Amino acid sequence: MRYLRLLLTQIRISLALGMQYRWEFLLGGGLTVVWTLISLVPLHIAFSGRPPIEGWTYERALVVVGWFTLLKGVLDGAVNPSLIRVVEQIRQGTLDFTLLKPADAQFLVSTAKFEVWKVVDVTAALAIFTYAFSRLGRAPAVVDVAVALAMLGAATLVLYSLWILVIAAAFWVVRLDNLAYLFNSLFDFARWPVTMFSGIWRVIFTVVIPLALMTTYPALALLGALPPRTGLLSVGGALLFAVVARVVWRRAIAHYTSASS
Amino acid sequence: MGRVSQIQVAGFCYPPVPLMAPAQSVVVKGLSKVYQVHERGAGLTASLRSLFHRRYRAVQAVQDLSFSIAPGERVGFLGPNGAGKTTTLKVLSGLLHPTEGEVLVSGFVPQRRQVEFLKQITLVMGQKQQLLWDLPPVETFALNRAIYDIEERTFKQTLDELTTLLDIGTIAQKPTRQLSLGERMKCELAAALLHRPQVLFLDEPTIGLDVSMQLTVREFIHSYNERHGATVILTSHYMDDVAALCPRVIVIDHGRLRYDGSLPDLVRSVNPHKQIALRTSAPLDRAALERVGAVVALDAARAVLQVPRAALHEAVAHLLGRPEVTDLTVEDPPLEEVMRAFFARPTAEQEAAP
Repeated sequence: MRYLRLLLTQIRISLALGMQYRWEFLLGGGLTVVWTLISLVPLHIAFSGRPPIEGWTYERALVVVGWFTLLKGVLDGAVNPSLIRVVEQIRQGTLDFTLLKPADAQFLVSTAKFEVWKVVDVTAALAIFTYAFSRLGRAPAVVDVAVALAMLGAATLVLYSLWILVIAAAFWVVRLDNLAYLFNSLFDFARWPVTMFSGIWRVIFTVVIPLALMTTYPALALLGALPPRTGLLSVGGALLFAVVARVVWRRAIAHYTSASS
Repeated sequence: MGRVSQIQVAGFCYPPVPLMAPAQSVVVKGLSKVYQVHERGAGLTASLRSLFHRRYRAVQAVQDLSFSIAPGERVGFLGPNGAGKTTTLKVLSGLLHPTEGEVLVSGFVPQRRQVEFLKQITLVMGQKQQLLWDLPPVETFALNRAIYDIEERTFKQTLDELTTLLDIGTIAQKPTRQLSLGERMKCELAAALLHRPQVLFLDEPTIGLDVSMQLTVREFIHSYNERHGATVILTSHYMDDVAALCPRVIVIDHGRLRYDGSLPDLVRSVNPHKQIALRTSAPLDRAALERVGAVVALDAARAVLQVPRAALHEAVAHLLGRPEVTDLTVEDPPLEEVMRAFFARPTAEQEAAP
């Protein structure tokens, strides 16, 4: 209850911040639309009017791009802004203030900032879904939507936990902003259905960097083609991953010595 | 059952001191803190070498420090840069774990960072800020209210009090980035005190502020201490801060305790002289002055003498008898000078060594 109120306060503050820079964010929203359209171009070239690749037709691959856009919106809106700030705070030593607050430090740093205008991404994703399903000539079943959302939850949890692990590493190494870029460029592969990659790449993108979980599985779920076992395994795996990240985080905090003695 | 527990309660409540209230606000026993520092020489080659082969060096930041502080005391930590003041503050607030020794603050072990403990303390760092940069300080206040779970009425009351004392009614509504350093520090203090902490750790709270703002901050800390009976532990580079605020000082040098007691006593022990400043209508004779005390400065209209405290009375009487003297003030030598002299002295240990 108390944490809910805390979360609402944080969101309210982020909203206030968003309003302060409304032009910047409106511009950002416009750019998002443009980039989403541009990102559709390679897909269009690879799939449109050609035979399906590994069973992926243009419309179905479009659903994957939709999930990619949606997940990107969720990440850039609710996960990344807060966590990028932590790395900075570790470097400057201002994380001390957070650690001295009588509330869970992981919660505090994870909810410190929301980019409210990233809602545009979510809208763009919905537009892509609508387009793809109208081309398929059907609507997704309610159950499939629910499963897909659960998969989205699992994917967000995994990415969030990855971030927490990165930050925990920052407690030791201090300077890690570059890792964030690496993270983003790898994430870009998630716009392609994972089964399109072959051999070692498919293994890497499924197990090491769980891109499959991030976009392909939710897309399959929405299309009603996700094996239940894969879905359950993904959710279970995501939860386990979150627990591991939490344990590592706690150890990192214990190890933390703030910058400048 | 009920009767038994009543008797027990009555037994515990006598003498009439709350059971949980510790007699000491801060207790430090044999505190040591060692850092592992990664060593690297200057230049590219050394940087490259350190990529593959790192040398670590143990730095003893604090060594066998012991003291205790009673509730409501105002104590100043003095010491040159790197003496271990900030390290000690961080250990006391629970940010750093002690390598050795025991620390108790308000009856809690700080490093466990229990919620009840964290609600009783606050840390203000003059060089770092917790205010949200792009938003008005009131937003940070609201956030801290949620974090500390402060009841609406208490919050309003505290905020009103702080707003009046610090005079931040209008500035708290402006985005932090538009505030001056002094205004920001006032809001910073307000943000740090909303939960009415009982122990205040202030690390250089007046750094970079102009003289009048320093005074404001100082007065505010004093009045908070008196209103709420809170313990104040302060480090500052401005000796005036410490002199004005702290009846007691703890001097740390090279991580060791050098002095613990009142500031006037410290000054007396380091420099048993008083300074007499004179304004004169005609230049005084140097040789004549030398007979009274050491001449620090002398020009046409002004003279400064240093006189042993024991001889002060006689010296003043003599100087006032001279017709050229138009004004005379007696003061302590500047605190900065006293401290410099103090740190230049060898420690007891160095003296013992051959």
